[in-house]
Amino acid sequence: MRAWKVVLLLNLALVLGVSWGYLWWGRQARTLQRDLAAARVAAATTGEREYHVTGVVRAGLEDLGLLVVTHGEIPGYMPAMTMGFRTASPKIVESVKVGDAVRFTLRGTPPNLAITAIEKTAP
Amino acid sequence: MESVTGLLARWLHLVSSILVVGGAATLLLAGPSDRPTARRWEAWILRGCWTFVLVALASALIAVAAQAALLEGRAGAALEPAALARFLLQTQGGTVWLVRGGLLILLAAFLAVRLEVRDRTDWRAARGEVALLGLLALGLIAGASHAAAVEPGTAAAIAADVLHLAAAGVWVGGLAPLALLLHLASREAGADARPYAVLAARRFSRAALAVVLVLIASGSWNTWLQVGSVSALLGTPHGRLLVAKLAVFAAMLVLAVINRRLIPRLSRAAEIGRPAMQRLGRLVIGEAALALLVMGLVAVMSVTPPARHAEPTWPLSFRYSLDNLVAAPDLKSQVLVGSQVAVLGVVAVVAALLLPWLRLAVAAVGVAVVVAGLAVAVPPLVSDAYPTTFQRPATPYHASSIADGRAIFTQRCAVCHGERGAGDGPAAASLNPRPPDLRAHHVALHTAGDIFWWITRGKPPMPAFGETLGADARWNVVNYVRALSAADAARLLGPTVQPDKAWLVAPDFNFAVGPTPPRALKDYRGRKIVLLVLYTLPASRPRLVQLAENQGLLGTLDVEIIAVPTDAAPDAIRRLGADPPLFFPIVTDGAREIVDTYRMFSPAPHAEFLIDRQGYLRAIAAASDDATRDPNLLVAEVQQLNTEKTPPPPPAEHVH
Repeated sequence: MRAWKVVLLLNLALVLGVSWGYLWWGRQARTLQRDLAAARVAAATTGEREYHVTGVVRAGLEDLGLLVVTHGEIPGYMPAMTMGFRTASPKIVESVKVGDAVRFTLRGTPPNLAITAIEKTAP
Repeated sequence: MESVTGLLARWLHLVSSILVVGGAATLLLAGPSDRPTARRWEAWILRGCWTFVLVALASALIAVAAQAALLEGRAGAALEPAALARFLLQTQGGTVWLVRGGLLILLAAFLAVRLEVRDRTDWRAARGEVALLGLLALGLIAGASHAAAVEPGTAAAIAADVLHLAAAGVWVGGLAPLALLLHLASREAGADARPYAVLAARRFSRAALAVVLVLIASGSWNTWLQVGSVSALLGTPHGRLLVAKLAVFAAMLVLAVINRRLIPRLSRAAEIGRPAMQRLGRLVIGEAALALLVMGLVAVMSVTPPARHAEPTWPLSFRYSLDNLVAAPDLKSQVLVGSQVAVLGVVAVVAALLLPWLRLAVAAVGVAVVVAGLAVAVPPLVSDAYPTTFQRPATPYHASSIADGRAIFTQRCAVCHGERGAGDGPAAASLNPRPPDLRAHHVALHTAGDIFWWITRGKPPMPAFGETLGADARWNVVNYVRALSAADAARLLGPTVQPDKAWLVAPDFNFAVGPTPPRALKDYRGRKIVLLVLYTLPASRPRLVQLAENQGLLGTLDVEIIAVPTDAAPDAIRRLGADPPLFFPIVTDGAREIVDTYRMFSPAPHAEFLIDRQGYLRAIAAASDDATRDPNLLVAEVQQLNTEKTPPPPPAEHVH
């Protein structure tokens, strides 16, 4: 075969090979991303969840059954912030005072979570 | 550290890859010929290309093994298939080696096959393919070089590096083939190829001019990305290697200019041309030898951390700094006049090159004017400098570092420098010279590295602390001195924000609320405005309640309030009580350092610091200011920050 034909075929093969590799790689990456996102959604939404959280009590709103807590990051659910949580029983609000360092259990199906248990970690 | 074997393999790989490209490119430039000597030369070059592709592949194997050993941290890993596979398949550098290896194997196969070359089209296609595959394999090196680690602008950095490599391949790699042709043609037996050799040399010379320009442009761009400053160029191993490379490159350019002048002599009558051809051949060999040296330096540079990311050790006892003019504005006119005179001199020199007569005289006058201008302009810019001048503090500008520095300062420095650095310590009166006022404006003209050097080595009558204090402790003292100077400058800040004037960096700090994990002021950078409130009960209570009532509004304006009790009480939240509830963070851990540091900026029992999104301190209000009584005034200042069109650049982690 003449040289220019060989070169043409070779370059065609090269271009095809490189683009096929590139597309395959892109598809692979996309599939991975989709799987990851799906796994995250599944982990976040399905069924009842339970989180153990540490924080400090900022206010107790007994008539609303709410406890306002400054808490650290809740992995897989929310970043560190100050916010109010519903409590499973009024006793929980009564058992702590403003400024108490606490460890508590959040249970429920996100976003319907409530504090089911609480204990002081420091005097 | 890279092993010597790995380094040699890298060098060999680079040299052979460049020779493949250069051989093919020179063939293409010279064009096809039917003269026997020219055909012999072409056959040699093709065989050479094939050999060098194999050498490149073999050296690539060794370099990859050395790299895998380096990554795994043990020499034995170089021969383990699992370690090699991890490097090749799971790192970007490995993938690039893999792709390049594939291209080189393809090229070796292409060169091994005997092709049917009937006319010019066939010839161009066959030789062009060698050049193309060689260029691809060479250019892809950029994908695993320092350029691939540049962020942001990775693509542009890689593109510049590809251009640089390709240009180096064509020019540097073409020198040896050209020298071979000139040598063959200058012999008695090679007379038939002389016109061909002259043509090749002329075309190569023309192409080389353009290629060298590309080399210089892409090299300058790379230098800016990887080195970025004079201190990094002269003070780091990578920078100094680059200086050495540039010196050898300059020598190559001198040879290239001499060679260019020889080329017209080649085309005279054959017998006269022959000595010129021999001479040119020898000079080109010299150029190629220098190129081998350059590539050795490049191989070492490719495994040396980029200068931008290394701590420079300044080699000179002086530096130039435009900041000197800020301190002494009366020198500005002198520098301005001097530099204008120097520019005039440069214009004269350029004009001399264009003049038909009196060239030498005008140029000499021009050079004299340049020298005179610089002699006037430069002296005011000279500052003393030390090896550590351009080093960045090893400990960040952080409240904990400042607090530590303050403790050391009180213990060891305050005797002479005074508790607040005013130079009024009990022992100061007996010293000659007297200790300076560390809060004075001129302190800001010195780099952190300057102050570090004085603390380390002493500055008579001040003793050296290099033996008695660890490096981190000395950097902490530097940070405290910087904070002293900054606190003095903070007097210029009032309770109102000065529009678009951000200059005072707020020292970073860590804080925690109750048992939650610690956060840092830096975490808010680029996201929120921070109002840091230092409060003292009971006087501050009305204001805290006021802030709590407005927290919703301030939140919508992107303000985070962080309240710090000045007594640093660990039960601060309980002491504030439940009524009314306060929901912004009250610091219970880290308060002591924050209070110690920020009280330097405002000693009031209640003080509020407005810190913008980039981490600059923009307004300071004390208890006595109206700003701490009327929430509308605070909202107005925040609105001012929110309307600033061009956010100031984030402060550097270091002083200069």
